Formats: sequence, C-alpha cells, structure tokens
Amino acid sequence: MIHTLLLATQVLHAPHVDYVAILPELILIGGALLLMLGSSLSSSRPAPGTWSGFTVVVAAASIGASWYLWDQVSRHGPQETVHNAVAVDGFSTLFLILIGVALLLGSLVADGYLRREGLDGPEFYVLAMLSGAGGMFMSVANDLIVVFLGLETLSIALYVLAGYHTRRKESSEAAIKYFVLGAFSSAIFLYGIALVYGATGSTNLVSIATYLSQNVIVTNGILLAGIAMLIVGLGFKVAAAPFHNWSPDVYQGSPTPVTGYMAAVAKAAGFAGLLRVLFSAFGSMRTDWQPVIVVLAALTLVVGAVGAMVQTDVKRLLAYSSINHAGFVLVGLAAATTAGISGSLYYLFTYTFVVIGSFGVVSVVGRHGDGRHQLEDYRGLARRNPFLAAVFALLLLAQSGVPFTTGFLAKFYVISSAVQARSYPLAILSILTAVVGAYYYLRLIFIMYSSPAGEAEAVAVELMITDVAVSTGAGTTLVEEVDEVVVLAETEAGPPELEVPTSTALVLTLTGLFTVAFGLVPGTIVNFAHQATLLVH
Amino acid sequence: MTQYLPILALFIVAALFAGLSFMASGLLAPYRPTDAKSAPYECGIVPDREPAERFPVRFYLVAMLFIIFDIEIIFLYPWAVIFKETASPVFLLVEMLTFAATVFVAFIYLISHGALDWGPLKRLRPMAPISPARTSESTVRRIRPAARDEAA
Repeated sequence: MIHTLLLATQVLHAPHVDYVAILPELILIGGALLLMLGSSLSSSRPAPGTWSGFTVVVAAASIGASWYLWDQVSRHGPQETVHNAVAVDGFSTLFLILIGVALLLGSLVADGYLRREGLDGPEFYVLAMLSGAGGMFMSVANDLIVVFLGLETLSIALYVLAGYHTRRKESSEAAIKYFVLGAFSSAIFLYGIALVYGATGSTNLVSIATYLSQNVIVTNGILLAGIAMLIVGLGFKVAAAPFHNWSPDVYQGSPTPVTGYMAAVAKAAGFAGLLRVLFSAFGSMRTDWQPVIVVLAALTLVVGAVGAMVQTDVKRLLAYSSINHAGFVLVGLAAATTAGISGSLYYLFTYTFVVIGSFGVVSVVGRHGDGRHQLEDYRGLARRNPFLAAVFALLLLAQSGVPFTTGFLAKFYVISSAVQARSYPLAILSILTAVVGAYYYLRLIFIMYSSPAGEAEAVAVELMITDVAVSTGAGTTLVEEVDEVVVLAETEAGPPELEVPTSTALVLTLTGLFTVAFGLVPGTIVNFAHQATLLVH
Repeated sequence: MTQYLPILALFIVAALFAGLSFMASGLLAPYRPTDAKSAPYECGIVPDREPAERFPVRFYLVAMLFIIFDIEIIFLYPWAVIFKETASPVFLLVEMLTFAATVFVAFIYLISHGALDWGPLKRLRPMAPISPARTSESTVRRIRPAARDEAA
C-alpha cells in the first residue's frame, strides 16, 4: 500500500483535460466571477436589469455549449474525460441543457422580483450561476467525489439564495433550516462514499461497476450500507419522502423565484446523481436497491398528494405537489428499464418549465413583501389579471396531467414504464395520487376563476338597496345615487393592480407555450429524452 | 481491527489532553477575586445582570477574509509539496494560478464592500434633502419659563 503510494507520488501525471467537455460549467463559473469582479470594480450602479441581462447571456452561452456537446455525442458517441471523472454522454448533456434553461428562466423571473423588493444586486445572479454550475457538475459526474463536489457547490449557493430576502423572517428561517438539514444530508452522503470506497476500492462509478462484476462480495454489509447512505443523501436533495420534511418550509420561506429555481435545478441535479450512481455504478446490484426505490416512490407519491390537499398556502401547496412529482420520477427510476429512465428524464425536463412558470406567477401575486400566498389571495385573479390566471391555470393543468399538455405525457410514460416492468401496485398508486392531485390543482383554478370576494359583497349590497328603493317606490335619482355608492365601494375594496414585469411575462409566455406546444407535438422532447437514455456511457 | 488502534489511541490522547489541561488550569491558576476586579465598570451604577456582549458585525467580514486565505493556504501547501514530483509542471502552475485568481476575486469583492473600512460608516446613499421650511423656529416648541414653573 505504502509502496504504491510512493510510486504514485514519484511521477505525477496531470490528467488530460478536455476543456470543451466541461465548457458549459466553465462558462457559468467564468460568468459568475466576471460579474462579481465587474460589480466590485465599478463605482456606479449599472442600469437596472444589467445583471440579469448578463446572466441570461451567460446561461444562453452555456446552453449553446451544451447543445454543441449533445451534437458531438450524437455523432461520435459518449466519452469520458478528466481522468474518467467526467462523463459526456446523452444523459449528462440533457441535464446540462435543462439546468441552463432553468438558470435562464429563473434569472428572468428574479429580475422583476428583486427590483420590486428592493433587493437587486449582482450577488443573486452570481450565486444562481454558481449553483447552476454545481448542478451541472453533478450531472456530468462519473466519480462519487465529483458528485459530492457538485452537490456542495449547488447546495451552498442555494442555502444563501434561500435567505436572500433579508428583511423577511421566514426567508432566514428557510435558509437556516435548509443549511442545517442539507449539511446533515451531505455528511450522510459523504459517509456513504467512504463506505462504498471501502467496499470496492474506488470512487469512480465505472471502476466500481467493473469491480462488482468481477468480484463476488460474500459479506456485502458495508457496501449495502454505503448505497443506502448515498440514496438517503440524494433522496434528501430531491425531497423524496421520508426525507422531505425540509421542503415545504424552505419552499415557503425562500424568495419565490428562488423556490422555482430550486425546485427545478436541485431536483434535476439530485435525480441526475441518483440515476447515475444507481445505474452506472450499482447496475449489477439492482435487486438490492430496487425495492428501496419502490418504497421511496410509493411513500413520496402519497405524502406529496395527501400533504398538498390540506394546504392553504399556495407555496406550500406547490411544495407538496413537487414532492408528489418527485414520486412520479422515482416511479420511472424504480422500473429500472430504458423506458423508465427516459420517462423520468422527460418528466424532469418538462417539469422544469412548469415549475419555474408556476412560481413565476406566485412571485407576481405575492406582491411587495412576498407575503400574499394564501388561497384567498388568488380569489378572482382571472378578473384582475386574465393573463396571469390563464397561464397559471394552464401550468396547474399540466401538473395534474391533463391531456394535450406536457404533464400528461410525462405521467403517461412513467406509469407505462411501471406497467411494463410489471410493478402494477406502484402504477395504480401513482394513478390514484394523480387523481388526488387533480383535486387540489382544480380547487386552485376554481378559486382563481370565481368572482372576487369584495365584488360579491358589492353586488349583494346593490341588490339589497335596489330592493329597498323599489319597495319604497323612490324615483330614478335614488337608484342612480345608489349605483354611484356601489362603484365607489368596489374601487375602495378592490386590491391594487398586479404589476407583471416584462421579463416575468416573457417567462410565463415561454413556459405556457412550451407546455402546450410540446403537449400537442411531443415528438421532439420525447426523442430527446429517449436518445439521452441510449447515449449513456 | 488492529489497524484502527492508532485512531483509538488518538481519541484517548485528545481526551486526556483536554481533561488534564482543565484540571491543571483549575489547580495551578491563582483565584483571588476582589470587588474591584469583578466590577464591569470603574464607576456608575452596578449592573444587576450580565450585560449583553456587543461587537460589530464587521468582524464577520474579517473572519471571512481570514477563511478565504486560510482555504488558499490549505490547498497551496500540498500543492507545493508535490510540485517537484510532477511530470507536467506547467499544468499544475496554471491550475494553481487559476485557483488563486478565483480566490482573489472574492477578496476584491469583500474589499469593495468595505470589509477593511474601519471607523465611522460611510453613508451609502445621500440623505433626502431637508425642507428649508423646517427650522429650529418651526420644529422646536418653546415654553415660557412661567408655564414651566407652573407645570413643575
């Protein structure tokens, strides 16, 4: 052992680094550093929107680089680089594109929000870009250490982002909760890596798989404990029950655009890590981990659906619904077939758009102070702002899995993969929770499209007074006066106008169009997810 | 299991060291309190409870500056040890320079946000202009001495 160590230190060969293969991450990190440096050195504040504009450009460049990689992979096949620690294949490039898109949309939503709350600053965008880079490293990782590195880069930036609204007590609470529990789960994950390394002698996923295929481990207690800890650590990040308890509080307390970004990126990156670890490294031990994933999926589905039913806060409702969605992705994972994985990938990709759009609407309706998130605050939204209500209704319908939206196909592929894998109880359970989900999504839509509370009262008053006027036989002048009074009361009681910033409106339009267009013509994205599964190293 | 014995020994040594230090401090340190020594101030009202400790939040920024360079050193040290043994020194040098530059950006950020500016705080925003109508005549209500005496 010592001899080999000495040999290793005598000649230290630098690994060959293919910088193009990690270009999307490098662009994000470079952009973050540039933004930090530029904002530090310039003495005057730039025009509002400069920082978010810069972030959008950087994210677009990163998506471009990811697209180039996707093109390379589909032509020349998957490859490994940086001493086999990074895998560039269809699977990882899909997640690179997904995270780039989430960053682009998320920073557009954040722009209007931060300006409204008086929090505008370069720090938000720097942290968003760094967390995106962390998520990307998690998805390209081919080594447990790189998974951990990405996980930490992603999480630490997100802890700070969760507490970004410094004037709101809930925001700090969310940051503290997320940090303490997240650090705990990271430690468990790290311990899992140590145990797996102890059992197999490597942290490289492919080396682990090779070792497991060539050796028969008689007492595999350490290895199984290691796998269990890896599942716990990543299960926490994707908010799978029973490791979901942090998510409603954190989703509720975080600034709303951060919630949307977090729900999209942390979930996607967590699932990327989970899929990669389970299939690349422990594919041969499928019979050991598959029952665990089945139980996790069932629990997550039920906890998410039942939890969302009793919520009166829309952000908490969406938090529980995102737990339910994580359950659906786990159903695809539990099937452990190509169809299942491509279903999960399709689910994650389309969910990114839906969740960022949904929280975009919530961040506008929350108004100054980010506090109006009760169901009652949505009553009559369709009257006050038909655009917001229409987009939100569409996205909620997509979440509940209504046909002609991307959400329907996502649920369809995942459940059909469970049926193909003959896990009928799980398929039936997921259909049942989808039905339960329809209840709370439709309830929210119904509230948005019902008449506002203030207006209903005004109408009642009007009716009562005209009744009185008719019964006393008063002239038309009195009725006119009454009409005036009613109009005045309505404008006084009516809530202030909702301001939809242009950038948020753009995001809502894009996510709405994506959800409908690819729900009607699903071919492109389905092929994308399917090819991503095939092009795995 | 024998390979883990050194770790166990380390645990025991650490516990012994901590325990013995406390014991030695308790036994050897002279303990002669006087009223003057334990009073928090030289003069004024004797406080009846422990006053809350206050220190500027600015110290956190100094702590962060320390962490930045601490982390840099942690990585520089093993890097310096293996630098001579590498077959590709240029790669290693460029890597470390990139790392140092990244850390330096964080340093610049902290400096530009006033981590090392001590003394009275600079006003970040100019105060809103005060209306010329507000003078000591208009804002201060004068009370006649007679009225004051009556009130007393």
